[in-house]
Amino acid sequence: MIRSDARTKLTGEAVYGTDLYEESALFGALVPAPVPRGRILEIGLETARRMPGVVVAVGPNELAHLLPKGGGDAERPVFPASRISYRHQPLAAIAAETLAQARAAARSVVVRVKAEPAVGEIDEIFPEWPGSRAKSSPHVVAHVHARGGDLAGAIADADLVHAETYRTNGVSQVAIEPHACLARVENGLWHVRTSTQSPFGTREDTADLLGVPPSRVVVEGTWVGGGFGGKAASFLEPYALVLAAAAGRPVKLSLSYREEFLLGRSTLPSTVRIETAVKGGTITGRRVRLLLDSGASLPGRDFATGYAIGFLLGPYRVGAFEMEGYAVRTNKPPFGPHRAPLAPQCAFVADSHMDSLARRLGVDPVDFRLRHAWREGDRTSLGQKVGPFGLVEALTRARALRDRWRAESPADRGFGVGCGFWSTITGAGGEARLIAASDGVTIVQGEREIGSGSVIGGLVDVAARTLGLPVEAIRVRYESTATAPFDSGVFGSRTVGALGQAVQKGALALLKTLAERTGAPGTVRLRWTNGELAVEGGATATPLARLFTADERRGGGITTGGRHFGRGGAIDESLVIDGSFHGYNDFTATVALTEVRVDRETGQVTPVRVAAFLDVGVALNRPLVDAQVEGGVAMGLGAALTEEGLWGPEGKLANPSLLDYRIPTLAEVPPIHVDAVEGFAGAGPFGAKGVGEPPIIPLPASVANAVADATGARVAEMPLTAERVARALKLL
Amino acid sequence: MSDRAPGLTVNGRRRGLDAVPDEERLLDTVRQRFGLTGTKEGCRTGDCGACTVLVDGRTTLSCLTLTREIEGSTVLTIEGVAADRVGRSVQAAFEREGALQCGYCTPGFVVALTGLLKEPSTTDDDQTLLDGLAGNLCRCTGYASIRRAVATAREGRP
Repeated sequence: MIRSDARTKLTGEAVYGTDLYEESALFGALVPAPVPRGRILEIGLETARRMPGVVVAVGPNELAHLLPKGGGDAERPVFPASRISYRHQPLAAIAAETLAQARAAARSVVVRVKAEPAVGEIDEIFPEWPGSRAKSSPHVVAHVHARGGDLAGAIADADLVHAETYRTNGVSQVAIEPHACLARVENGLWHVRTSTQSPFGTREDTADLLGVPPSRVVVEGTWVGGGFGGKAASFLEPYALVLAAAAGRPVKLSLSYREEFLLGRSTLPSTVRIETAVKGGTITGRRVRLLLDSGASLPGRDFATGYAIGFLLGPYRVGAFEMEGYAVRTNKPPFGPHRAPLAPQCAFVADSHMDSLARRLGVDPVDFRLRHAWREGDRTSLGQKVGPFGLVEALTRARALRDRWRAESPADRGFGVGCGFWSTITGAGGEARLIAASDGVTIVQGEREIGSGSVIGGLVDVAARTLGLPVEAIRVRYESTATAPFDSGVFGSRTVGALGQAVQKGALALLKTLAERTGAPGTVRLRWTNGELAVEGGATATPLARLFTADERRGGGITTGGRHFGRGGAIDESLVIDGSFHGYNDFTATVALTEVRVDRETGQVTPVRVAAFLDVGVALNRPLVDAQVEGGVAMGLGAALTEEGLWGPEGKLANPSLLDYRIPTLAEVPPIHVDAVEGFAGAGPFGAKGVGEPPIIPLPASVANAVADATGARVAEMPLTAERVARALKLL
Repeated sequence: MSDRAPGLTVNGRRRGLDAVPDEERLLDTVRQRFGLTGTKEGCRTGDCGACTVLVDGRTTLSCLTLTREIEGSTVLTIEGVAADRVGRSVQAAFEREGALQCGYCTPGFVVALTGLLKEPSTTDDDQTLLDGLAGNLCRCTGYASIRRAVATAREGRP
């Protein structure tokens, strides 16, 4: 058996956020802003209130009566009182007996606004690089700037200075399950069942937005129909809760798939200037300048820019460097995380550039990377020491397979390698609770398994390995935030690497407790036979139940816990001129090799096969590792070839549907070969590194490099649609 | 006047449609009226395939089907698949190959493959089956494990 959640999901039994129906529950609908920017003159809810089936209509004025001290975070009101900052921004909400009634009433709301000119694209504000002084511009949300070494000297002394400009477009998470939740407010408790990657993160954020103490908010997870970052923070929960509070009845709120695109927290476009100095075949300096569209994100809350920009230097020794970036506010929806936030688009830039540089120098692109690749003990440009890192091994394997594929394939095929790195977010903390009963060990969990297998596989594998038990002896029980131990959530590929450490400590604590009770010296061994747990000691085995105290017998077993509250990696702050940069935790290398066929008349790129080389540390569960890589590769191919939000003037999205925003189908994803590179231990239990996010990272670069290999043309914008490739081939 | 029996037969059980308005979609009827939420609601525009059911044995997007339109028909949803021999073999193949992650598209794939395998004319090779599933979107698996499950299900078909 590969997955313990297979049965419940194969029979239709598993309940997701969208499946939450209750007899007494109302349905909610959001009232969207009609313009991307402007001043609110009136939100007239009276007509809506008289519509059939409508129970409540809540706008900014009603919030004052519903929420303690008139609301929570003043900078992020649930509904804005005066200003609109993106199109479709929720301005009010309706709850009615049926969904159709709620949506009809939402359409009837009178929204009078004074429209103001909106900013659609960064180019409208900064048609060219604005220099360091633009940080005081009202459009700038964040500015980061760092440098080290003598870059001017490196450029003056170089044999070659290679400068390019790249553009990337916004990518959506496209979980097949739209966002959905069911809220109720009873006895002063704000309770919400929701499809979320992070129940505790949602609790904290919701409490903050509503202005109620976190202890009064209870978040209960459902099965999650795909997250990919889109369900990592609160989203619909605050709206559903204010409706439930106003109506005095439970309210179900869900998004239509069109709203998923219009309101979804996708990644947003960027423009990057990258310039590299080379002397004697070695990189001696690099400058990167990043303009990142952060949509209607709030000033002072940007995490993205300082994180993203490090990926533009790549997992390489680049000598002297300068990196500077701006997050620029536009009237698009706020930016959101997406599987390995920003890394795929930055690796597209960094590794397309490495490839193009190697071709200019006339050297093998993989050899060129190997020459500069980080090895353990190297320092990043910001001075952080690189831990165990499998990039050289992964690249070496990729080069060998590329040469084999090239030898056996038709001559018109192109082969491209892409490289990237990731840092498992082991800094974010979590606690574990284990209950050892006669019939097995239970891990009590707040967040649900979201599909990656990191809970039902990863955490279970960690407990099983530590306790010396088969995985069948370990179960997971999901509880709400009211009773479950705290955990940061399923994001940053951290579940096994960070929460797994807490589970491991809880398991070790259990072994210690059992050793004390049996009087065994050192550690004890557990045995699971015929569904019963026993403790081995010499020739005899003691049934676990015999070691229980009276209270444990009544309470259901021996409870132990573990916690892992980590820290982020440290950088050399003396290199920072402005803004905040982030250190990494585990260094994880990720390499992809893609073979493509390019249609010379239409520019259509067809991926023929892909191989992924992932630095996994230790593969705790190989089938689940393979599954993450296969899924990440397919998602990366979508980002490489077809997926992009088509934003028109004034922040209007032209393709808010699955018909026009094209994700890969079964007919389009080619065979995927997975190679797990082991032996470069991570910080996680048994040396495991996070595997959920890294596989997507190198795909867009590998595709672009394969197209360059096949045609000689460099496509400097992702995705590589047929139109862009045709332009690069001068067919258009 | 139609001589067809009124109502629907859903997973072998007769269901009346008296309260169902003309414009109601089959997806909403099975999920909200009959409580069969195993049929998943994705895009509601016929693009994702998560809502696939069998209507008189044919794979059908329940989000684009009006319930009244198929009155008198026999409907199989994911909840009824285990009662079908072919359906059970499809479930077993998906379980064996671990051909699911978040599981949201899974009922659609299982129902669609069950329908394809029950059609004697289209079951001879994997490619025909894969073509038949190309309208079902999965965001998690990259379809690799689903391909393996299709081969396993075809081989193990009763």
